[in-house]
Amino acid sequence: MKANGTGLRVNHLRKTFRGGSVVACEDVNLEIDDGELLVMLGPSGCGKTTTLRCIAGLEHPDNDDAVWIHGHNMTRIPPKDRNLAFVFQETAMFPNLSVRRNISFGLDMRKQVARTDIDRRVEDAARMLRIEDLLDRRPHELSGGQGQRVALGRAIVTEPSAFLLDEPLAALDAALRVEMRTEIKLIQRKLDCTMLFVTHDQEEALTIGDKIAVMHEGVVQQVDTPHNVYHRPANLFVGTFIGLPPINRFACELQRNGAGLELGAAHFTLPLATEQAARLERSPARRLTLGVRPELMEIGPDGAIPGTVRLVEMMGSRTLVLVETESEDIRVLVQGEPAVREGERVGLTPDLTRAFYFDERGQNLLT
Amino acid sequence: MTDDRSTPLQKILTYATLSVVLALVLIPYGYAIVTAFKPPYEVYEVSWWPSEISFGAWRDVFAINHFHLYLWNSLIAGLGSAVLAVAIALPGAYIFARKEFPFREPFFYIIVGTLVFPFILLIVPITIVWIRIGLFDTFLGLWLAFQIFAVPYSMWILRGYFARLPRHLEEAAQVYGCTQFQAFWRVMLPMAKPVIVSVLFLAFLQGWSDFLFSNMLTTGDGPRTAAVAIYTSTAGGERVEWGPLMVMTLLAGIPPVVLYMFAQKHLARTFAGAGH
Repeated sequence: MKANGTGLRVNHLRKTFRGGSVVACEDVNLEIDDGELLVMLGPSGCGKTTTLRCIAGLEHPDNDDAVWIHGHNMTRIPPKDRNLAFVFQETAMFPNLSVRRNISFGLDMRKQVARTDIDRRVEDAARMLRIEDLLDRRPHELSGGQGQRVALGRAIVTEPSAFLLDEPLAALDAALRVEMRTEIKLIQRKLDCTMLFVTHDQEEALTIGDKIAVMHEGVVQQVDTPHNVYHRPANLFVGTFIGLPPINRFACELQRNGAGLELGAAHFTLPLATEQAARLERSPARRLTLGVRPELMEIGPDGAIPGTVRLVEMMGSRTLVLVETESEDIRVLVQGEPAVREGERVGLTPDLTRAFYFDERGQNLLT
Repeated sequence: MTDDRSTPLQKILTYATLSVVLALVLIPYGYAIVTAFKPPYEVYEVSWWPSEISFGAWRDVFAINHFHLYLWNSLIAGLGSAVLAVAIALPGAYIFARKEFPFREPFFYIIVGTLVFPFILLIVPITIVWIRIGLFDTFLGLWLAFQIFAVPYSMWILRGYFARLPRHLEEAAQVYGCTQFQAFWRVMLPMAKPVIVSVLFLAFLQGWSDFLFSNMLTTGDGPRTAAVAIYTSTAGGERVEWGPLMVMTLLAGIPPVVLYMFAQKHLARTFAGAGH
């Protein structure tokens, strides 16, 4: 706990449903600094939304000391007293109120803020979000993107301790999603506010977050910068989940030959460079999963792993080549156009200095 | 619009059937209206057009039968029934839709299941109980008796509606300053307007046009309703005066129709305003 009582903290959060038979959150621990934009990323069912809702007070955690806001235990405090703002995936605008009244809802309920102050805050927020001409419309007249802007406005005017956003862009079309993603980040920077953003879209997470908390089966797997989550995954799950196209995985064994250590897989052997060999030698692990990102695979006429080109797919400035080998299909991401054609026999060489080595429990051995 | 691919024969059959059904429904009403305006000597003649428009029956209905009093009673009975039904069923339906508690589902279906029970069998026990507890021959007694049907039915409709309303609206209200009750009051209720209108209408109709309970639970000195008054004016079928009878029937039957037309307009407007 931060000694000066700032920030948001999730402390061993456990949340089960149906009397314990469904475990949504196993043991979630998070520390978010003031002014930080943390993204909670993970597949469906990993507990990210449940965690967010527990922080907001919309769900009740199993333990009594799970949610701490600015140094106070807020676990059992009702949502309205937590001074948080929540943006839902489905916008959640009140259909019987105008846009203006929707935005001012939180302030109207509080009754402590003067009318003129409320109007000013609403106008400021509307200007920031570029929805000034929509203020007198009704929710059903707005598009999805406009609706989410109103939802953001409603959050902004209450000047909360933190913003909680539950997959707010998931219902929007792709182009709008990208546009709003940047807008949200700019707003967060401008207001210098704490933001918790839940998403299952890793591209969104990698672009928007200061830090990413990757979650799986109710547990936080890794909290790190987007760069580290991508280049230094803590375990096999993070390494596999992050990265599109997905990483290539090989089951290997550490073997000793005359020259040094090598990786032996079902149908190929790869000699390890001295640095990797030295570090891996120290660990007791013998069976590994080798993870090589598609862009770290070299493709050429010869290579350590022989195969046949099955598919060549264009992906904008890069090309995805699917190579069929004896044991599995390998994905290779090449800059520009590759010098190979479908049906050609090729050889693949992974860059072992930048590959990942996961032990039998899935832990990354070299971080 | 899909094309109408009926053959001419199918069209003829459709319209013929519709005409028969319409006739079956409209002719009695039409004849009642006509008879209401016939002078007394013409009532027993089977004719569709009175020789002169007579308001004699209308005068009698108010002067001799004092029908206006009974219409007023029906209004009170209907309004009270409607208000009570909504007051009881609305919070109940919300709880059954949103709160988790043990045996919630069986409990709900037991309540709704009481609708299956034939109400006729209840008249005698209810009358006895009502007499014992002093509710006999009172408006309150009528209102409570009507709830036996109105509450389960209203709760059934309302709970179904509340359950289908997305939760995030109430949750948004709760995050932005509402207690659970305030969220219900400010967000759920306005959204439930169309359903509440239909519940009010049905419960009102129950109170206005009910005969079963109103007959047993009231006397001539108490809050006798129009439906019962129509019955008693015939002295059990002994002395039927068709002219006044037709007038009374029309007077008792038209307000619900008018109300329905208003309710329908409101319902349509509310659904149109909801957009998506």
